[in-house]
Amino acid sequence: MARLVLKFEGTVLKEVPLGTRPVTIGRGPDNDIPVDNLAVSTYHARVYDEAGRLVVEDLNSLNGTFVNGLRVERTMLNDGDAIEIGKHHIVVDREHDAAVPLDSHRKVSAPKVNETMVLDTKARREMFEMAAKLGERSQISPGRVHVPTLVVLGGRTDRREYQLSDRLTVIGKSDMASVKLRGWFAPNVAAQIHKHEDGYFLGLGDRVPRVNGETIVGPTRLSDGDIIAIGRVRLSFVYRD
Amino acid sequence: MHIESGARSDVGRVRKNNEDSFRAEPSLELFVLSDGMGGQASGEVASALAVETVVEHCRDAAEENGAPEFCGEPIPGVSDRTNRLASAICLANRKIFEAGADDPARKGMGATIVACWITDRRLSLAHVGDSRIYLLRSGSFEQLTNDHSLVADLVRSGILTPQQAEVSEQQSVLTRALGTQPAVEVDADEQMLLAGDVVLLCSDGLSRTVTNPEIASTLETYPDPQKAADHLIELANENGGEDNVTAIVIRVAQEPKGLMASLSKLWGGKK
Repeated sequence: MARLVLKFEGTVLKEVPLGTRPVTIGRGPDNDIPVDNLAVSTYHARVYDEAGRLVVEDLNSLNGTFVNGLRVERTMLNDGDAIEIGKHHIVVDREHDAAVPLDSHRKVSAPKVNETMVLDTKARREMFEMAAKLGERSQISPGRVHVPTLVVLGGRTDRREYQLSDRLTVIGKSDMASVKLRGWFAPNVAAQIHKHEDGYFLGLGDRVPRVNGETIVGPTRLSDGDIIAIGRVRLSFVYRD
Repeated sequence: MHIESGARSDVGRVRKNNEDSFRAEPSLELFVLSDGMGGQASGEVASALAVETVVEHCRDAAEENGAPEFCGEPIPGVSDRTNRLASAICLANRKIFEAGADDPARKGMGATIVACWITDRRLSLAHVGDSRIYLLRSGSFEQLTNDHSLVADLVRSGILTPQQAEVSEQQSVLTRALGTQPAVEVDADEQMLLAGDVVLLCSDGLSRTVTNPEIASTLETYPDPQKAADHLIELANENGGEDNVTAIVIRVAQEPKGLMASLSKLWGGKK
């Protein structure tokens, strides 16, 4: 019988046999394969049998589900395929199952995953870009990319909206600030936002920012829809499609 | 922004050689620390080469009389200055690897590295291995680097708890180091410094023997960075001194308060 093997950087964490019921993967403890990582959505993806073929389906997760480096919404799985969720890999092992015909439309030569390889963010992006160049856009679902964005709700800033892409985003009057505050009394560094593996964190500046009305005491992880207030400036942190 | 710093390195109470090397360059606002490894005194060679290479590369880049060629691929999402620091570490890796390949007695030598470079208020940081950078800010003590070690990977994956990692026998297994491969991936990041911040660079001889709360309270107790560094070394030695230990403490001065300070700030413009 086929099974799924959960691995992290080469170490096998769990093996789950595949039956008739779908296998769910996510951060929630009630999943068949719980993955305790903030980059993983509560119900991230599921794997199920459809007329004798294995299918993986992304459950509208924030950071996406990848198969052999390609972002997928729903795709067939072959023996040896690696489903990547955050830094975890779930390898499909069909064992003695009958040979499954190769997916003929998959043009990208995805590496055969016998030994788990470590795909860091950079490698994943490179594979993502390579796939895009090869015209595999149907697999990638461009409408599903979430861009962390600051939307200005009030106060004097140089723009109404900022897309976050750097490791460090400075909010203030400083030359190094990418979210520029205006006004006589605006501080050079009002606050700062750091990008980590598991999300974006708001940190202190020369002022103490508030998130949803609460004063922060140290780096605070931002969630979709959080309202940041620094003096009279109010910003909404959202993941834009 | 006014910066003060202090640093000290010690062989500890068990080992014969100190394989840690460090350089504090207040004029460049550059601070580098490396923990070497390898037999026949080659650990010292590796860590000294790492530190010298990083300082010289950054000095050349800062002086801009023909900025040195960039080593490695630029890291996206960080400033040019931070990338320059990562480039310096890439170059250090290459030099140690080549030195090890040329000399059979030094084959397999390696080193960790942590480096901080301050530009105006921005702290660029880069590292490879399990030496660490911490930030003490408004009473909260945060590790800014992720160790490139097996146990750190096991903690991140949820296999070990941080408490289990502290007593693991595999603490010394690194997943990345300088000099063991022709190329190395360097982690780089940045922070805006705030008045009163304290940044600590240290080798594992400190982080494995002195607990985080002890380190944080020492940094809070001794405002003089040199005294704080001295005291941290003493604590490590009191706890057995099993390894070489090195600490660099950087303190950002508090902003002067009051009317005159406000006035001079208005006149002085941006700082």
